[in-house]
Amino acid sequence: MNLDNFKETWQQQNSDTAAITINQTMLTDMKVNKQMKALNNMKWARIIEGVAFFAIIVLLGQYIATDFSLSAPTISAVVLTIFAIVGLAGNIGQIVLISKIDYAKPVSQLQKDIYRVCSHKLQLTKLLLMSVPFYLAYVFIGFDVLVGIDLFPHLEQHMIWIYSLLSLLLLVVTTTLLTKLHYDNIEISWVKNTIRVIVGERLVNMAQFINNIESTHR
Amino acid sequence: MNKPKKTLFAEAMEQHKGIVFKIVNSYCQNRDERQDLAQEILTTMWLAYDNYDNEHKFSTWMYRIALNVAISYYRKDSKRVGRASEDEECLVHIADFSQQEERGEEVMLLYRFIGQLDTLNKAIMLLYLESEPYDSIAHSLGMSKTNVATRISRIKETLKKQFESQDV
Repeated sequence: MNLDNFKETWQQQNSDTAAITINQTMLTDMKVNKQMKALNNMKWARIIEGVAFFAIIVLLGQYIATDFSLSAPTISAVVLTIFAIVGLAGNIGQIVLISKIDYAKPVSQLQKDIYRVCSHKLQLTKLLLMSVPFYLAYVFIGFDVLVGIDLFPHLEQHMIWIYSLLSLLLLVVTTTLLTKLHYDNIEISWVKNTIRVIVGERLVNMAQFINNIESTHR
Repeated sequence: MNKPKKTLFAEAMEQHKGIVFKIVNSYCQNRDERQDLAQEILTTMWLAYDNYDNEHKFSTWMYRIALNVAISYYRKDSKRVGRASEDEECLVHIADFSQQEERGEEVMLLYRFIGQLDTLNKAIMLLYLESEPYDSIAHSLGMSKTNVATRISRIKETLKKQFESQDV
């Protein structure tokens, strides 16, 4: 039996008007649907996060302005400001992306857009992980703000070396982890499980779908 | 005089609503899900109708939106949605698929076969059965024509084997 023999029978269903009835008045009165509502909620969440990042940037900016020197707390504040700026830029990008979601796009393109929107939590986690090698920045600012002490001059030389090496090691580890945490690598079980834990099963399914559609060999 | 947008849309929907029926029956397991997905497809189409370009075939545009909604369709709590759709006035009503023996054995078999395919192959099959050319399928799905051809040939092979094993 050939699949082509079924085409005519299949297409005859188009004229079966009894199988589906549409309330046209209700339909054309619709202003929004579930997906649009979900996207709108996401947009508002990103706006709120963006405001939070902006507030952090302003606070850190004020902190830097009060002591504009090459001290450890000031440099730490600059480092954290850079992360906050990246976070804010990411949020603005998300808001633009959500506004551009278009269901008339080719399937692969739209699924990638939706993946990018839905993977926001993953991106935020990545940003946090990226700041891990700079953990001393939090320590220096914490000491300065809470106790009023610049910790760096009190550290012994060998401790500075140990902390620096640890930061370098963490940088290598987090960079490796973060470059792997992508839908291209969804078949790797730890990547799949990490994405599932951070964002959920939906993103795993989407990643698998995108990989499937991009694959020319399967 | 030009017809109002609502009338044009309603006419197009009446003419092509079979597409929605085929997609929801291919992608959803139960009736509540079908109703819910059909509603999402129709409302998405209405909300996107302003951007519809008359130069393109309406059915192709409709298929693309309907497939995109079906593939993105995600249910967190199907029981809750099921109860809600019973209470609410329905925008769309889908006939009970399980009681449609008059559709013919061939069509029912095809639905069963399509139901076993993965999300992407389902989309390819639906477009193929509509006699869409390979490059149009490739364009709608955003994949290469070669990939579409390879997948269709594999699907045909699998279907052939399934029919042979069932002596159809």
